[in-house]
Order: sequence, then C-alpha cells, then structure tokens
Amino acid sequence: MKITTPALIAANRFGYGASHQQLLRANQNPKSWLKQQLTPVIFDSSLPSQEQMAQYVTEHRRNKKALGKKYKRSSEHVQAIRQLMADSSIQAVSMDNSISWRLLDFFSNHFSVTAKGAKMSAFAPTLEREAIGPNLLGSFNDLLMSVIKHPAMLIYLNNEKSAGNHSKLARKGKGLNENLAREILELHTMGVNSGYNQNDVIALANGISGWSVKRPKKSKSGGFTFLRAAHEPGNQTLLGDSYRQQGVEQGEAMLERLAKHPATVSYICRKIVTHFISDDPDPVLVNKLITRWQQTNGNIKQVMFALIDAQESWLPAQNKFKTPRDFVISSLRLLDSKPKNTQMIIRTLSLLGQGPFKAGSPAGYGDTMSHWDGANALMTRIDWAAKLANARNAKKMSGVEPQLMALMSSRNYTMVMRAESRQQSLTLALMSPEFQRR
Amino acid sequence: MDRRQFISGTAASLALWHTQPFAATTLAANKKTPKLIWIVLRGALDSLETVIPAFDSNLSTLRPTIGLAKEKLTQPMQHGFALNPALKNLYTWYKDKHLLPIVAVGSGFESRSHFDGQDFLESGLNNIEHESGWLSRAIELKQHSAIAIAQSTPISLRGSDEVNTWYPSKLKHSSDDLYQSLQKMYQDDQQLSSKLSDGLKLRAITNGQNLSKKNGKFATLAKGCGQLMSALKAPDCAMLELGGWDTHTNQNNRLNKQLTTLDDGLAVLKESLGKHWDNTAIVIATEFGRTAKENGTKGTDHGTGSALLLAGGAIKGGRVLGQWPGLAPQQLFEQRDLNPTSSTFSWLATLLNQHWNIEPKQATKLFDGAPLYQEKLVS
Repeated sequence: MKITTPALIAANRFGYGASHQQLLRANQNPKSWLKQQLTPVIFDSSLPSQEQMAQYVTEHRRNKKALGKKYKRSSEHVQAIRQLMADSSIQAVSMDNSISWRLLDFFSNHFSVTAKGAKMSAFAPTLEREAIGPNLLGSFNDLLMSVIKHPAMLIYLNNEKSAGNHSKLARKGKGLNENLAREILELHTMGVNSGYNQNDVIALANGISGWSVKRPKKSKSGGFTFLRAAHEPGNQTLLGDSYRQQGVEQGEAMLERLAKHPATVSYICRKIVTHFISDDPDPVLVNKLITRWQQTNGNIKQVMFALIDAQESWLPAQNKFKTPRDFVISSLRLLDSKPKNTQMIIRTLSLLGQGPFKAGSPAGYGDTMSHWDGANALMTRIDWAAKLANARNAKKMSGVEPQLMALMSSRNYTMVMRAESRQQSLTLALMSPEFQRR
Repeated sequence: MDRRQFISGTAASLALWHTQPFAATTLAANKKTPKLIWIVLRGALDSLETVIPAFDSNLSTLRPTIGLAKEKLTQPMQHGFALNPALKNLYTWYKDKHLLPIVAVGSGFESRSHFDGQDFLESGLNNIEHESGWLSRAIELKQHSAIAIAQSTPISLRGSDEVNTWYPSKLKHSSDDLYQSLQKMYQDDQQLSSKLSDGLKLRAITNGQNLSKKNGKFATLAKGCGQLMSALKAPDCAMLELGGWDTHTNQNNRLNKQLTTLDDGLAVLKESLGKHWDNTAIVIATEFGRTAKENGTKGTDHGTGSALLLAGGAIKGGRVLGQWPGLAPQQLFEQRDLNPTSSTFSWLATLLNQHWNIEPKQATKLFDGAPLYQEKLVS
C-alpha cells in the first residue's frame, strides 16, 4: 500500500517520523492517528529526582571543600547528570507517541533552563521530567504553576534568594530579585511588549518573593518551600488588579491571572504554530488555537487537537526547517537506530549546536530556520549524516525505501537510489530538502 | 524596543566571501576596514601574575609562594611592570609598540560568579541581556559583519543578523563527491544551495582544518580566525574564547601553561592575519580578577580588578596604562582584591570610537553610559 502525503505530514510535521507499519496505520486516518498519540510522556523512572540530585550536590560541595585538590566527583553523580540530560532525547527516538515528545520539547524550550555550574547541571534536566511532563496534556495554568515552583526554575532565575524589601530577611541584607518575575512576563506568559510595565514586574516579584527551595542540609527533603520571612508584606497591584492575599496565595493568584491573560493565550498559540507548522504562522490557524484555548480554559491537549483539526496545518508545502534536535532524532528513528549511549546523543546535539539544556538563555533555543541554517552548521549536519550512514548496517536501507519514495520528489529519489554506495545513498536521503524540512 | 532582539547568529550570508585564500593574502591591508578581534578569557585570568607589578613591595607579602622570583621577571615594561615570562611573543609585540596592557580595570560587575561575570562583560549593559552583546550592537551601528569562532554565537555577538560562526569540524569531512551530489540535489532549493556553497567556501578559506589535538586547539582556532579575517570581503571583526583560567589551586604551573597557549595562539593569529595585522586591534579581556592574596592551595580565588590587553598593528602600544591603586591592605577592594581604577567598558568604548570611528555619544550608549577616556589607544 502506498503511503499518502497526509500520513507523511502526520508523522513528520507533527512528530519525529514513524516506522513503515506506523505510517500504514496513519494512512487510514492521519488526524485520529495523531490524536491517539497525545498520551503522557514516560521517562526512565530509574533516574534520580531533583531532590536526590540536591543531595549529590551537597555532598559534592562538602567533599570538594574537605579534600581540595584530591577530590574527584563521584562517577555516579556525573553519570546521573548525563543520563538525565539525554533521557528525553533517547525516549523520543524510540517512543510511538512522537507528537507528545515534540510537545515536551516545545515546552521544555519555552521554559528553558541552562545547565551551568555544579548546581544547575544537576537540576536543569529535572524540570521537564518533574514539572513539564506531568502537566503536558493538562491546563496551562497547572503547567505554569508547577514550573515556576520547581527548584530548577527558582534557582536558575535567582528567585530562591529573593526577599521583599520590607520583609524580615531584608533587614539581614537580602533584597528583591526581579529576574524570575521579569522572565515570567516576558517569556513564559504574556510576551515582550504586551502591555505590562516595570511596576508590574516589581509587583509580580513581590508576589513571588519567598518562593524558595528547601535546603537539603536543614530538612531531609528538597523541593519548593515558601519562606514567609522573605515574602514582601502588603497588597500588590499587577496589571491594574489588586492582590490582597498575604502569603504564597498571592503569587499563585497572580500566575493564575497571567495564565489566562489574552496576551498569554495569543503569544503561546502563535509560538505553538511556529513550532509545528510555519516560521510565519497563519493568523487564521493561530486564531483557531486561541478559540479552543478559551473554550477549554487553556487545556493544552485540546489546543493540540485544534492544531490537528485545522486544514491550515496540512498544506503540502514543507515550511519548517528541522532544528538539529529534530534532525538527529528523526534520522535515528528513520534508521531504527537507537543511540548507543548517553554520551553519543549529548555530543551529537552539542556538535550540531543544540546541546540539551545548554541554550544559555532563559529564552531558549531559536525555533525558526534562520537560527539553524548557517553555512558551518549545514556542513556539520552533512558530515554527521555521513557518519551515521557509514556506521550502520547498510542492509536496513531497503526498509525505508517506500517511505523515501513517498517523501521525496522523483528526481531526488532517483538521485538517492543511484548514489555510488548504500552509505552515500542514505546520507543523501537524510540531507535531502524533503527530510531537512517538515 | 524588544530587549531580546531576534538572533539569527548562524544565518548571515557569506555570499560576498571570496573562495581563493591565496589571492587574498597578497592584497595590501585596507586602512578603511579596521579589524577588531575580541578575545574573552573565561574563568578569570590572574592579572597580577600576567602584568606583574614588580615595583610593588606588597606583592611578595601577599604571595609568598606563588609569586615569581625577581630573577624570572625578564620582560620589563613601563612604570616598573613586568610581563609574565611565558608571554614571549607578546613581549616582542610590546617592544614593537603593538601591545598595550591596561592595569587595574573592572567591568563594574558586583558578584564573583564566573557565568554572570562573563555574561555581564559580553552584554555590556547594566542589566545583563542574554540576546544582545556590545560587539553586535557596534557592528549594527557600523553595518559591519562578524564571525564568532565558536559552535554557537556567544552573547557578545548576539542580536545582529550579520554574524556567522565557524568552528573546525570534529567530524571527518565527507567526500567531495557527496558535496557535489548534494549541490545537485539542492538546485531547486535556493536556501540550502546557497548555504552549502557558503559552507564549502568557509572550508576552502580555512583549508578544511580539523580539530585534532587538544593542545593545539586554541592555535587551530586562531589560525582559522586569521584566515577568515584576511579573505577578500572578510568580516570586520571576530571573537575567540579561551577557558581554563580559574586557578584556585597550583596556580604557577597552570597559569604558565595557559599563558603559553594564549601566547602561541596569538602568534599564529598574527601570522595568519598577514598584512591585515597592520589595521587590526585585538582586545583580550576576562570577567574579573583574582584575590591579591594567595590562598591555602597555592592558588587565588575570585577577585575584582583585572587587566585588559590591547594588541595589534593598529594599537599604540609599548606603554602600560591604568592608574595603579596599590596593594596595601587599605588600598585593596574589600581588603582582598585589586581595586579597579578604570572601567573596562569605558576602554572598549574609547577603542570603538578611535578604531571604528563610532561617535563618542554612540560609543557611550553601547555600554549603557560608560564615558570615554582621553587616552589615545590607536596609532
């Protein structure tokens, strides 16, 4: 049976590609095939949690101090960090619910945290597993709340040390840190230039002052804690509304308001369409997502249904250039080739410019072609594709031929099939415009 | 105004670049296109053992074991400073009046965290902007272009469309045959086809260097940098990075090795720049200094004031600038660090004004109001 264009779009544009069998299933009803894939993402549950990593970090600090030069970080610790960093990429290579892993990648980048220094290297990869994954298909409000309260985010954007200027801790020399509040407004919810001002940033920073992280030394467990002594007392005015709550509820109410603010809704819906469909999102399509968001109180799964339902999402033109991550994962999937080890996937992604948890900015990695199609970057892609093609058993090529025939123009398919070797043929297929775009 | 300008670091077109590096090097340097190379030393260089205040008697008290012995200080400079003996090539530059150290500088950054300190130095703004660097703001102003010798665009060069990156490949290059087949395959895809031919040009200019030995890494990068900067219609500026300066322990050996790497790399850079050396200004900076006093593990900890090194044929060197604050306990910043007496950003603004002819007002604005200095930096 021939693989149809909608089935290819379903697998490649919305996901990381699919096996021949899966594509045959998608053939029958691509939309419902996709919707069925919106199921929870499941990580390797044997890996340590943020709290366990916090204990590692504490031990690491203590031993480093005690042993000085002789100290070597335990290999268990280093290994755990690597496994955590690579896990979502490794899962995305093998799991059938590809669209959900793409969605995880989208929100993980939306709430980008960078692994820099001993603490953030250990914590950064725990955010997507603990705060994003579990809320991926629920309401955006829950997702936002759980991300902002997660230690990785609180520490990354310095809120754990923030204390209101009239709080008890302020008298001990601590002060307000606006970092997290500013990024919530600018990056996580409303988006830049969307009608808030510096006073709103301060109001939100005050509202979430005292949102901090338990210290593993003092308490047995890590995780979120509310330090009343660091919370700015009094009412706050955010975007013209007064917040009279006097505790953790104040910040929570503010986030709840921001999660459903019209600016947030249109900013995130536009970003989703940019991620999946086109660098230049069709306003009609964006509006369909916005409408569904409003009807369902920001249910992310429903918003994704709207994306799948819309005819604008299925135009045959391939308008998205794959990011290095998309390219690596979809290549490995096409060749049914599992990454050999955690190092391989981390190294490859770093080499191609998109190391996991290394965006270096709370804005995350760029999501449009111009961020990724640099001349040097393209050369690296080619050489990596050749390496992958050379390393694998060329016999398996035959398994992907029907798929390539359906995906590629007849001219390019002929070029692929007439290449001088199977390896070169595979490299050409991976680097073809049809596989580089989605 | 969007505080995070759209970055498309890897996207700028190389269409203007020339493919023949040999032809390029025979061309005389053009004074109208002064080049700037910005080098960030990540991890906080210990300036006190780099541009050594040999005249300051407090130094040996503060550093009884890590301080270099007087007889080793064989590279004297102005005002009683000495250049670390590992910096042999740089000392020749000094004697040729092409090295200008500036002592006791600081960026004004208050915390002692490396990452934040580097971000601050690269962004050049009072509030760190991760998507806007001072160098990219300068190139936007002058409609210049830049190349970052890095795998991804560093903050210094974020925020402009005219920035490319180049990094020697860690992967084996594919066969020419494959590239040719791809070019054929991309014939109807203008975007990919132009990027591929740009990529092949980049390889040609840098002779397809691979990154092999770790020791030769900085030199490899420096060589590629020089080659890219001396190609026809090459970019106006480049950025290089070198890490490994965080010498908390066993500083002497480590610093000696690091400075040798830097010195060797800079010599390669000069060589590969060819005649363009004459109109090049190199700026070498680090995020902050190190403690004046040595610590218990024969090293130094994170400090404040540091040094800035200006170099290149365009620089009016052979002098040592900067007001020396002294190293007596009461003269130290918070009684532990070298006290900065001038601003890194002001020196950068002054250089941009003189080297790239950026209006004083605009140069100041690039760094959120850092005033210009009167000193003449460019010859």
